[in-house]
Amino acid sequence: MNVFHSHHILRLRPAGIAGLLMLTACASVPPAPTANLQAAQQAIATAERADAGRYASAELGEARFELTAANTAVSQQHMISAERLANESRVEAELSSAKTAYVKAKAVNDEMTNSTGTLIQEMQRSSGDKP
Amino acid sequence: MKVTNNGGCRVTPLIAVTVASILLAACATVPVEPVGAAAARNNLTQLQSDPNLATRAPQAVAEADAAVRVAEQPEEDKDLVAYRVYMADRKVEVARAQAQTRFAEDQRVLITAQREQARLDARTREANVAEGQVAQARAEGAEQKVAAQQARSDADTAQQAAAAATQQAAASSQQAAASNQQAAAASQQAAELQLQVAALQAKPTDRGLVLTLSGVLFANGNADLSPSASGGNLDKLVAFLNKYPDRTVAIEGYTDNRGNSDYNLGLSQRRADTVRAYLTNQGISAVRVSSTGKGASDPVAGNDTASGRQQNRRVEVIISDPPSTSR
Repeated sequence: MNVFHSHHILRLRPAGIAGLLMLTACASVPPAPTANLQAAQQAIATAERADAGRYASAELGEARFELTAANTAVSQQHMISAERLANESRVEAELSSAKTAYVKAKAVNDEMTNSTGTLIQEMQRSSGDKP
Repeated sequence: MKVTNNGGCRVTPLIAVTVASILLAACATVPVEPVGAAAARNNLTQLQSDPNLATRAPQAVAEADAAVRVAEQPEEDKDLVAYRVYMADRKVEVARAQAQTRFAEDQRVLITAQREQARLDARTREANVAEGQVAQARAEGAEQKVAAQQARSDADTAQQAAAAATQQAAASSQQAAASNQQAAAASQQAAELQLQVAALQAKPTDRGLVLTLSGVLFANGNADLSPSASGGNLDKLVAFLNKYPDRTVAIEGYTDNRGNSDYNLGLSQRRADTVRAYLTNQGISAVRVSSTGKGASDPVAGNDTASGRQQNRRVEVIISDPPSTSR
């Protein structure tokens, strides 16, 4: 088994080195993560339309900051950082949207519960007055 | 090195060492759990075991689960680990918020049913009262045959009064709903004001007001970012400084505890400088603004979680008391 492994590794080694060289070559001129940046931008726009600036402003602010950071990283040719920051920005914007939806849904429920409570009070008062 | 393929009996020492080191490396990496991944997994498990939330956002939960799995993979590159853990953490939060929203929406059916029941009860009681009045009037009419017609008209009046009472009840419950809405709007405004005050996060200390610029102001190991992206916070600070020209600010940069301390000191200094440059670019006189790098010292949160480290990567702005009141 030991022997098998060593042969296996030896046979793979030149291919591995060539692969590494190719990777290095690619890494020196990486393309900008355009799709990731666009997705982040879109997620931020969606959150803004949902009024996340009002209901989940911390997350939205963070998403915006990370997108700016991603663009800065692109201009400095730090494409790996740029891609990660773009993805972080997108998920942060999505979180901002999700939290906004929750705050809104909860406000509707609270209002409905309150008005039901008022109705019950009103009913008890009016039926108590009559006899 | 010459390799002979003669049945594999001759294993040179070099090959043996290579194999051994690969095996060792494999053994060494398996038990290393990326820092922070356990916390993300824990959050996800909590969400999945909450009976109200577990099944309400299946897609988001699946995505969160996939992200947590990626974060749990052994990995040497600390930046990559931090990135994966961050993504996992956020995706779990997204799933939680979506499930909570869905749960709230589902609750509405119940609330509506309760409201309809209350409404029905109210009508039933009103009708019973009116019926009682009518019956009473009829009984009186039977006893006093002479006043039978009068009694009947009394009954009619009672019925009318009952109808009017029903209408009044409906009207007043409408009014109550309207005033409820007003109250909700007022409390929302108050909450918003509170949010803005909290957003600035300036805390009074013996050094003066301390404003913490948290959030991801800077990418890991990067100080060259435009601080305009911090949005409101820095602009609020600029507005504040313009309004109170006798106040000065000391800017202190901090990092998390990853990386060596010299590097962190330099990085935190550059981050503080970046914020200082932003303020001076906005027209704040340079003599009013000093900047220092504090490295990983004085952490405000644990460095063992991604969110803790995120809080520690911060810039604190200490706004001095005006000269007249400072000691």
